Amino acid sequence: MILKCGFGLLSLGLVLVACTSPPAEPKPSPKLVEGMWSDPPGAIGILCFFTCTDVAIERLNALLDDPANDARPFPELRAEADKHSRETYLRPRLTEAALKNYPLDPADDPGLLRCEPWGLARQMFSPHQIEIRRLGDDRVELRYGEWNARRTVYMDGRGRQERGQPGPLGNSVGRWEGDTLVVETTGISANITPWRFEHSDALQTVERFTRSDAGDTLVLTATLTDPWSLRQPLVIKKIWKWAPDSKITPYEDCERPAAVTRGVSPP
Amino acid sequence: MRRLLCTLVVAAPLLALSVEQSGAHHSFSAVYDEKQVITVEGVVTQFRFVNPHAMMSLDVKDKSGKVETWTVEFAGRLNLMEGGWTVETVKPGDRIKVTGNPARKSDRQIAFRRIVKADGTELLPTQARQVNAIEQERRERARQRNQGK
Repeated sequence: MILKCGFGLLSLGLVLVACTSPPAEPKPSPKLVEGMWSDPPGAIGILCFFTCTDVAIERLNALLDDPANDARPFPELRAEADKHSRETYLRPRLTEAALKNYPLDPADDPGLLRCEPWGLARQMFSPHQIEIRRLGDDRVELRYGEWNARRTVYMDGRGRQERGQPGPLGNSVGRWEGDTLVVETTGISANITPWRFEHSDALQTVERFTRSDAGDTLVLTATLTDPWSLRQPLVIKKIWKWAPDSKITPYEDCERPAAVTRGVSPP
Repeated sequence: MRRLLCTLVVAAPLLALSVEQSGAHHSFSAVYDEKQVITVEGVVTQFRFVNPHAMMSLDVKDKSGKVETWTVEFAGRLNLMEGGWTVETVKPGDRIKVTGNPARKSDRQIAFRRIVKADGTELLPTQARQVNAIEQERRERARQRNQGK
């Protein structure tokens, strides 16, 4: 096995050296992401209230830095950045099948119409709290404020669960890559995404949770693939702030609206 | 005529948040008209501090003295708590003015944008407060930039 070994050898210019012993496994660092997180403050926090992309973040920062925009209200700049991301990043990645009903009318949202809990593609980016907890050495629980949803991530080395009936939140397996929690999910039943396009039950997601260097921010970078709805993988971001005192409260009083109107949704 | 204080097209920046941005867990545009803003005044009879949406009942008198019950819909308890709300923030018996978006198809129902209590205390959605803080920060940054010219 060829590995980098030892500062003394590196100082002699020997970068690659044969090592006889295997490297120590990186120690899992669940404490780095474990705990309670919630909505972040600031302009980027509001941009990423549901989801955001690097394209949207870059655009918003450019708009905020331009003195020509000083008189424009922040919600207008936020909407412009979001629209730019949808038009230049999201839309070109959607297949013809997904574009057919894109964007879905909010009046057809089963969460609104029938108080139906969200599927994974929305739940993983839901606003408010996310609590990450170890359950023994072989499982991690992700609990969300929205819908009081819970996901169990199996960390015991089992592979992706390709068989079985798909469910709203799918089947998740995970691992530690240094200090990053990586969660792979399959078996997700067809549903809708936060960007109001439909996905199939072939959707697969890879979530990477990392704590910021300053320690006060949790960053999720999620990659979504679905041959039915996506031409290319979608890479989506979400951030939370460290919120150890935040509380997840019961979620049991969903009321269906008495009346909805179609055809009035914002673009 | 009920005590409808005003009806206007959205103008004030603090009211320029869409329902989605205000912290609701889904778009309410199918239920509420975001282009219209109305204000009603009345007495709180019930405040249900729950998820996914907090709900309030408000008794509003019209000019003839007839009382009609209005419903005010909020973002959920999870969201309001992020802004420091508790179950005690608004209590039955409080006289308040509520500004919000009227429901498209239901009379006497609005989505919360702003409350002013009898003592003048103003209550805003959590994200509206955050936006106000951002606007203040932007103004300060612009001022410093202009001073540096």
